[in-house]
Amino acid sequence: MQGLPLSFTDVAKTFTIKGEALRVIDGLTLNCPAGSFTAILGPSGCGKSTLLRLALALETEDGGSVKIGGEDPVIARRSGSVGVAFQDAALLPWRSVRDNVRLPFEVLGTAPDDDQIADLIELVGLKGFETAKPGELSGGMRQRVAIARSLVTDPRVLLMDEPFGALDLILRRQMNLELQRIWSAKRPTTLLITHGVDEAVYLADRVIVLSSRPARVVADIKIPFDRPRGPELLREAEFHGLCDEIGAYLETGREAA
Amino acid sequence: MTGRLTGNWGHLVTAVLIVCLLLAWEIAGQMKLVAGGTLPAISAVILRLIGEFDDYWPHLTATLRTASTGFVIGNLVAVAAAAMFCLWPFSERLFRGINITVFTVPPIAIAPVLVIALDGDTARITLAALLVYFPTMTAALTGMQTADPRVIDLVHAYGGGNFKALYLVRLRTALPAILSGFQIAAPAAVLGAILAEFGSGARWGLGSFLLGSLGRAEPDRLWGIGLTATAISALGYVVAAVAAKWVTGENKALSLTVSQVRAAPAQGRLQSFAMVLAALLFPFLVWQGLIWASGLSPIIAKTPFGVIDYLFLGKTAESAQARLLVALSQTVPITLLGMIAGLLFAFLLSLVSFVSPAIMRAILPFALFTQTMPLVALTPLAVLIFGRGITVTLVITISVTFFAAFVVLAQGFALIPKSAFDLVESYGASTWKKLWLIAVPACGKWIFVAGRLALPKALLGVMIAEWLATGKGLGNLLNQSRGYLDYGMIWSVAVVSILLSVALYQLAELAERLLGNGRVTRD
Repeated sequence: MQGLPLSFTDVAKTFTIKGEALRVIDGLTLNCPAGSFTAILGPSGCGKSTLLRLALALETEDGGSVKIGGEDPVIARRSGSVGVAFQDAALLPWRSVRDNVRLPFEVLGTAPDDDQIADLIELVGLKGFETAKPGELSGGMRQRVAIARSLVTDPRVLLMDEPFGALDLILRRQMNLELQRIWSAKRPTTLLITHGVDEAVYLADRVIVLSSRPARVVADIKIPFDRPRGPELLREAEFHGLCDEIGAYLETGREAA
Repeated sequence: MTGRLTGNWGHLVTAVLIVCLLLAWEIAGQMKLVAGGTLPAISAVILRLIGEFDDYWPHLTATLRTASTGFVIGNLVAVAAAAMFCLWPFSERLFRGINITVFTVPPIAIAPVLVIALDGDTARITLAALLVYFPTMTAALTGMQTADPRVIDLVHAYGGGNFKALYLVRLRTALPAILSGFQIAAPAAVLGAILAEFGSGARWGLGSFLLGSLGRAEPDRLWGIGLTATAISALGYVVAAVAAKWVTGENKALSLTVSQVRAAPAQGRLQSFAMVLAALLFPFLVWQGLIWASGLSPIIAKTPFGVIDYLFLGKTAESAQARLLVALSQTVPITLLGMIAGLLFAFLLSLVSFVSPAIMRAILPFALFTQTMPLVALTPLAVLIFGRGITVTLVITISVTFFAAFVVLAQGFALIPKSAFDLVESYGASTWKKLWLIAVPACGKWIFVAGRLALPKALLGVMIAEWLATGKGLGNLLNQSRGYLDYGMIWSVAVVSILLSVALYQLAELAERLLGNGRVTRD
């Protein structure tokens, strides 16, 4: 299935915390074409996650508009075209791995695709753990269940909020490889929020650097590497040059605040 | 940590202590050491209980029937209400007045009212259900609200609404909490059923049996009834505890959740004022509505206006006010005194549990025993030992207040980060120094929480003691009015004691906010 375009147009969002208005996003515009992979970097608390929550219709924008495939995110999510993975696995502890991966179908009220569930569990390397409970799994394994779950509905838009943030470096690299493989096969429009500059450069077509509150685009960098990208890319000078360049933008973004 | 007895040793200490205490009881009974033989030997109590078991049976089944029916109904309502509060938070604010009333209401004060307004079994079931409602409702609500917000987000992200989140995530998340609520609710149901048997003229039921045996000088019979009531309370507790253990794989909650009805979120001043007003008026509306719906005679079933008429407008108003004021002046001071004594006891107990967990583990079964032992069964026994003076009131009040307070304080101790102790310990602090530097100050705010939870129980304890033992105060006034069929006074005492309880609760909450460095919130 083809990805759907995701667009943020002149989006504004204000939170009220203890009676004080906090402008988190102010006039941000970002277009993610169908089938693209966009990574978003920015200092902590700059509103990256809010952007993702807006695309999931978990928050409502105060100004501007967020569209998925030209429609309201509420419609997109109800039709099952959105997949999501958060920083922590957010698994139901009383459900087995398989039942956790099945959860989106139950929420959507559609018939679960058991073959797809089995395939994805295998894809994320958890074959044999189908009946295990989250409590019996390691942190990395739990996160892989969440990744499988985010892909189980064959989403046309994939939203990920630091999905590998809690993992160690080795596991993170491994998951990055897997994510790239899965993404190349299905090509959902992907928005990845991350803290890892190397992860962003390694995975994305395009890296967006945001400034501190209120979030605005400091840099929009195209990543030129061919796909599929192997682990050897991580050792190339060009890769590191790009990472350093983005790192510099991140610092400017912080100073701008 | 050093000095802690590990698993088996702790159990051994507990077992030895229990055997010692039972032996001491037996010896004291045989030698008539306590108050001229009012504490019979345990063997005598059990022998008499076995001998009279045919007499017990109809009473036992009557109480079991009403208590369990009330337990089921109360819990169904409680879980449904928690779900409603969770789905529509404004409804929780609207029901705040009702919830606080149900929590603080001294069951003994409304028992006569229920007996007047409803027929036999219904009154008992209603009181049992009422007492069951609050612990299960708060436990269920807290459980539902502590559901993993990320998973809730996930459900919403796939287009699921609040109902779907409730059904797929919140209910199951709340299950252990609900079951721990049942642990508190089970003894409460027994207490409610027994209390509503008081003065109902019912032939069967442990409460009727107890009252009937009170006049005779037969301590072993009273202890037998007390033990039986304790046994069925404990049975309910154990069944709920086993179910909770089965679900969670561990056994934890022992008491009410600490977080109570939370403050309303920030909103317009006018709006929040309207909400407070609505929450205040709502209980009175429900009261009025229930009386209308019941179709009872206004002479028997008083509406809010009926009570105002009786207390302020009618020709008996002056004497009624005078009697109420005298009763209040007797009840209020002893309630506060009892609460403070209960808190102090709880504080000492939590210190003991901090300094020596091994001793604590040995004490805990006895502490639990006083909780499952219905208050009403305890009172006649306490009268036998302590007489009918102020001591008996204090003893009863301490015994009903300390446990909930202790659990709160112990939780407070447990919540102190271990690193804080490690820090002072690495500077060579002794256990006592750690206690003084960290544990006691950290406990400060929890004292207020414990006090707030203990106050309504203290009032209940005092009123029961007054009714059954001392012949003073609100409890006695209630009992007397029942005898004279003075319906106006019965309703007035019920209303005044509820208002008193709610007022004390709110004062405690205010004190907690002003002095206890901020409200204790869940997070």
